[in-house]
Amino acid sequence: MKYTVLLIAFVVFGALIVGCTQQAAPQAQSQQNAVKVGVIASLTGPASNVGTSMWQSAQVAAAEINANGGINIKGTKVPIQLVVGDDESTQQGGQTAANQLITGDKVDILVGGYSSAVTSSYEQTVAEYKIPYIVTGASSPIITHRTDIDTSYIFHHCPTTDTYGQYTTTFIDQVVRPAVNQKLNAPATRPFRLALIYQDTAFGKGVQTAVNATITKNKLNIVLVSQQSFKMGESDFRTPLTAIKAANPDAVYIAAFPNEGAPLITQARRDIGLNTIFLNVENNDNAQFYKDLGQYGEGSIIESRFSPYTAPAGAVADAQNTFKNSYTAKFGTSPDMMGASTYEGVYIASKAIENAGTTDKATVRQALVNLNMPQIIEAMKDGKISFSSDFRESQFDLWMEQLAFNSTIGECRPNIVWPDNLKVTGFTLPAWYSPGSA
Amino acid sequence: MVDLGILLQILFWGIYAGCIYILLATGLNLIFGVMKIVNFAHGEFLMIGAYITATIFFATGFNPYAIIVLSMLALMAIGALVERLCFRPILGTSKLNEIFLSIGLIYIFQNSAAMIWGDQWQSIRSPYQGITVPVGSLNVPVDYLIIMTVTAVILCLLYLFLRKTKTGRQMRATSQNRKGAMLVGINVERMDILSFSIGCALAAAAGTLWVVSGQVFNPYMGSIPAIKAFAIIILGGLGSIPGAIVGGLLYGIAENGAAYFLGGVWKDAISFIILIIVLIVKPTGLFGESGE
Repeated sequence: MKYTVLLIAFVVFGALIVGCTQQAAPQAQSQQNAVKVGVIASLTGPASNVGTSMWQSAQVAAAEINANGGINIKGTKVPIQLVVGDDESTQQGGQTAANQLITGDKVDILVGGYSSAVTSSYEQTVAEYKIPYIVTGASSPIITHRTDIDTSYIFHHCPTTDTYGQYTTTFIDQVVRPAVNQKLNAPATRPFRLALIYQDTAFGKGVQTAVNATITKNKLNIVLVSQQSFKMGESDFRTPLTAIKAANPDAVYIAAFPNEGAPLITQARRDIGLNTIFLNVENNDNAQFYKDLGQYGEGSIIESRFSPYTAPAGAVADAQNTFKNSYTAKFGTSPDMMGASTYEGVYIASKAIENAGTTDKATVRQALVNLNMPQIIEAMKDGKISFSSDFRESQFDLWMEQLAFNSTIGECRPNIVWPDNLKVTGFTLPAWYSPGSA
Repeated sequence: MVDLGILLQILFWGIYAGCIYILLATGLNLIFGVMKIVNFAHGEFLMIGAYITATIFFATGFNPYAIIVLSMLALMAIGALVERLCFRPILGTSKLNEIFLSIGLIYIFQNSAAMIWGDQWQSIRSPYQGITVPVGSLNVPVDYLIIMTVTAVILCLLYLFLRKTKTGRQMRATSQNRKGAMLVGINVERMDILSFSIGCALAAAAGTLWVVSGQVFNPYMGSIPAIKAFAIIILGGLGSIPGAIVGGLLYGIAENGAAYFLGGVWKDAISFIILIIVLIVKPTGLFGESGE
């Protein structure tokens, strides 16, 4: 009998834990005649570090726009009112947040969304109510490519896993592979041994698909010697890393969130003795990631478009520094990449409503389709922000950073090493690097 | 053909993971054995233990292995308070009261931790990181050997306490027959508060070893380990401390074996597959008695 009660309780408890939610935190003060911009971010749960940066960056953008009088709608300046929805880093939390913002707060437009699994879980609601949504954090292409729902109101303002998976694989082929061959005095025909470890979600699988497709499509001399997966939020990677080490890779490509990537590299270098190059996805370019990595990050690579610690010289650097200074002055910390694109997302929403001259959803959607505005703080293709006609995706200029350990601060700092027109130094293999072997 | 060295390495990581589970599940089983209560908030004590260790470490720079004692003492006090204020008033009432009380405690502890420490993930570094020692054919970081040794020492001390001290014998007597213990003059309420405190202290030890091993932690870290701890005590047998030890080790090894042979997504699932199989074959668990 006790067993029966306990087992039932166990099941109930499990279900409650899976579905547990916290209250969303509406932050904005009620304003009449304001444009309501809903921001969906992970303020609690495993992705709260990134989500907090997204929400705070949106506040910086809204404050700047409101300081200039607000959005110009047919000659009348209307302020922005931000309303936040906490997705709690869960699919159920995302659905609750989206429902509250759309049907409760009746926002005019949505910005944000982190984690492709979470974001895709509430796209149905967005499609049903036809709310323009500028997704600034979830990077799986399924966000706008899926065909089971109408995604025509959803616009993707961050590189997709297809884009950066291909970009990073190309970097491996053009830069890392020749460097390893040079170290080994090996011919160019030597196959490069790449291992992949990815989060078992739409995001991680998206990177896996992109890497495989790039190798096949471009006939690259790269062999995937090990492909390991892990569940979202994992913190113990020792066993998959043991499997990777046994495959003798030349480098390891990691598709993980920062709270996974930092312990993964630390465990690989410290516990497994995997002395290789680790390539990271752009969302890891985050101050907490550098802090957690310490000296173990040395030599690692991050594909990036916005870093708390570096920027390509020129106009983009000035704009990024201005944003970073405003953010730090307001919140005392550094913004991250998803924060940067969310900051831009609020500006894009503002520009679209200004161009539409109304908050009518269909008209604003059309304004987003026709958008062609100058880049803001991130480098865009041709210096313009616009959305592709097929899947409504904006096109970013990316770069690759290599981390160097700074013993004074006890953390690594990035240097841009690729492409040639942006790099400040060349890619190097660390002295401790150990290449793979067949 | 899988290399023997890799299998040994995976076994080693399984034993390490098992150590954390053993401490958590043993504490849970001790509480269940004496009080017969279901506390789903037990994982939150692991989380608080982790934060207390990290906070003292950041503030003082003391060796985190030494801080484990302070963390356990702090959790004993917190555990005593929770038992006295929350569980004692509902003891002996419906199991549903215990379940919903403990679920409420999960939210209270998680939100309190988020308010005090923030809800972003954190990590600390062991003073022994980077030091490795040869163990047979393996070259393993010394931290994991310390973690295994600390776990063994704590379990030995618990064994000695339960077997060799008068209070320990009284606690076992209460666990075996609460009414009988009362009849022979044992203060069962004192045993309740003591078992709850010791259970929380063991969770604090698990939390400390979790963070020292370099795993990240945040206020929401306790829920999944708590579910696993419940699965372990059902697998090992309710109220059986040897069952919790064997079950914890089995889980740690099975999880890591599954991650290697089947892929990381099977890591959690395999534990519950084993639980289902054991319950079909032996419904009382590996070391459980039919009376439990």
